[in-house]
Amino acid sequence: MTDASQVDAKVDQKLKEAYFTASQGQLIWTRFKKQKAAMVGAWVLVILILSGLFAPFLTPYDPTIAGRDKEYLNGAPQIPKFWDENGFSARPFVYTTTRERSIKTNFRWITKTDRDARRYVVFFPKGDKYKLFGMKFDRHLFGADVGYIHLFGTDSTGKDIFSRTFYAINTSMAVGTIGVLIAFVMALLIGGISGYFGGWIDSVLQMITDTVRTVPAIPLFMALAAFIPDTWSAEERFFFISIILGFIGWPTLARRVRTHLLTERNQEYVLAAQLCGASAPHIIRKHLLPSFTSYIIVDLVISFPYMVLSETALSFIGLGLKDPVNSLGVMLQNVTSADVLLNYQWYFIPVIFFIILVLAFVFVGDGLRDAADPYADTKK
Amino acid sequence: MYQFARFAVIRAALAVLTLVLVSFIVFSLMELVPGDCAERYIAFKASQGSVISAADVDAERVRLGLNQPYVQRWGIWIVNAFQGEFGDSCIQRLNISQLLGQKFWISLGLAMSALLLAYVIAIPVGIIAATSKNATLNNSLRLVSYLGLALPNFLLALMIMLFSTVVFGDSLTGLFSKEFRDAAWSWAKLRDFLGHAWLPVFILAWSATAFAIQTVRALMSDEVGKLYVTAAAARGVSGRQLLWRYPARHALGPIINSLGFDLNRIFNELPIVALILTLTEAGSLLIEALARSNDQQMAGAIIFMLTASIVGLNFVTDIILALTDPRVRRSILG
Repeated sequence: MTDASQVDAKVDQKLKEAYFTASQGQLIWTRFKKQKAAMVGAWVLVILILSGLFAPFLTPYDPTIAGRDKEYLNGAPQIPKFWDENGFSARPFVYTTTRERSIKTNFRWITKTDRDARRYVVFFPKGDKYKLFGMKFDRHLFGADVGYIHLFGTDSTGKDIFSRTFYAINTSMAVGTIGVLIAFVMALLIGGISGYFGGWIDSVLQMITDTVRTVPAIPLFMALAAFIPDTWSAEERFFFISIILGFIGWPTLARRVRTHLLTERNQEYVLAAQLCGASAPHIIRKHLLPSFTSYIIVDLVISFPYMVLSETALSFIGLGLKDPVNSLGVMLQNVTSADVLLNYQWYFIPVIFFIILVLAFVFVGDGLRDAADPYADTKK
Repeated sequence: MYQFARFAVIRAALAVLTLVLVSFIVFSLMELVPGDCAERYIAFKASQGSVISAADVDAERVRLGLNQPYVQRWGIWIVNAFQGEFGDSCIQRLNISQLLGQKFWISLGLAMSALLLAYVIAIPVGIIAATSKNATLNNSLRLVSYLGLALPNFLLALMIMLFSTVVFGDSLTGLFSKEFRDAAWSWAKLRDFLGHAWLPVFILAWSATAFAIQTVRALMSDEVGKLYVTAAAARGVSGRQLLWRYPARHALGPIINSLGFDLNRIFNELPIVALILTLTEAGSLLIEALARSNDQQMAGAIIFMLTASIVGLNFVTDIILALTDPRVRRSILG
């Protein structure tokens, strides 16, 4: 044997040892890392979530009516430039726009761009006050030295669409998270009882779950959401919608929990543990729970995009969140009118973010599902 | 034969029981809503200028039977509902069956056609995706079916509308042309209807197809590797015959079984598509009842009808499965 092959064998041995002693989390992570699409999805997701969390800092203006630009309603996106016919500039700039209405313009508002008046992009300027993690700040990542800058344009009231989009990601994620958590707790409780006790309790609970699953959820919860009193504040509405989303999601999850419990309960390793004299709590804690926590996490990730989609659907028809709140559904609501379709296409920019968010979740969920399946490698 | 009849009867009884449970959920939700029909009617009258007292509200409640206990009213509602009779609409003061009328059947027709279209596309495509080794084909199919999920159908509808408005100068909305809207059914009206209905059907089928492709693909790739397929191949069966006669038949069972939930998903999307394309059918009536006029009677009736058709479809698929799948047939006949 040569030295090289001996080293190889040693490395091989080490790898094998690492494989056999790896925890379930490490194994899943190793398999997950191999999937390119899922990794890209995961990075996109992390970036989106972080940018949602730090939205107040990353965006230049307040997304509510307080941060509106009175001079630039339904304004087109302003793309920062480095040079034009007036020369080059090391700092990116946009143009100043003015609005005027006179007999010459047939009394309609006409926006004019003044290419000589440049607005330079500045970094870390002072702007609207905001709160982040309980502390007060007024610095933003970027802004304009004079007036406003609108990377994604403005809506009909002059609110900055760039700012609104990032706040909306945050809101939609928050609604989705609360919804998933509520669905998860209900599913664990109902599915757990059903799977653990079995017998007639299982039959009755399954009957109820199946019935709830038969009713088309969105029309049913539209009925609930329709009767939210108009007097409710934005926050109350927000929590109510999250709860509704939780109720939409639980039956599918509950069924999965039940099936997992029922099949795992009768596995041989459980029997082996019992024969070794392990107590019931020990078996549940050490054997049953680890056997399906990864599946449950995967299920949660997979059900997340449906929550976001349901929120959008509810908000879209005007039964979910409403305008002072910025959620992706609220933003999508604005794109329906023919006026927007034909003249203000930049209203669609949040839509792109929405699609990317859902796609990222689907890719990560799929990748996780494959990674969490211990037989994925042996099957192929 | 006797055993089969017994199976059918038990299934039918279970379906009815499910519907009773559903009606209880729907009815309770309608009751939870603040305010009742009497108040709403009186509020309408008040807005017309008449002076209304609390006694008037109570008198109206007695007239509508709203003073009876909860369970009794539910009993009356459910008995009537099974006869297709849902009482009067709270707002329009007209009989609901009359208002809903053929609109519900149009909705059901649209949803069923979307379901059919979805599977007509999904079954061959799913089988090809599961059996082909072509990575490019597989990945692009995967992307398309992910897009079916991530691109909400209302967005798709908007884009098609935008496109057709710019290119054809017609927004493709509605279900009937103006001259046919109130006409009686005839060949010309049917042709006009079909000319409009393809778009909602296509949009409803969009995400349904994405789901169906994934289901068919997953089921097929589970079956294709099994020993009986290898055995059949060893006997000399090959090509399309091998796929269709062996794994496809097995994979079909769970698909038939899940048709009810597919219909459920389509119904979930129906109101939103109806809103955008300004369809005049039950979905838009539901939104109208919920978002604009708070018409609880109408909303309850529509949700009940939608659920009833899902339960009905589930019953039919159970029977079909029992007839076609020898394994199921055997478990029934014992």
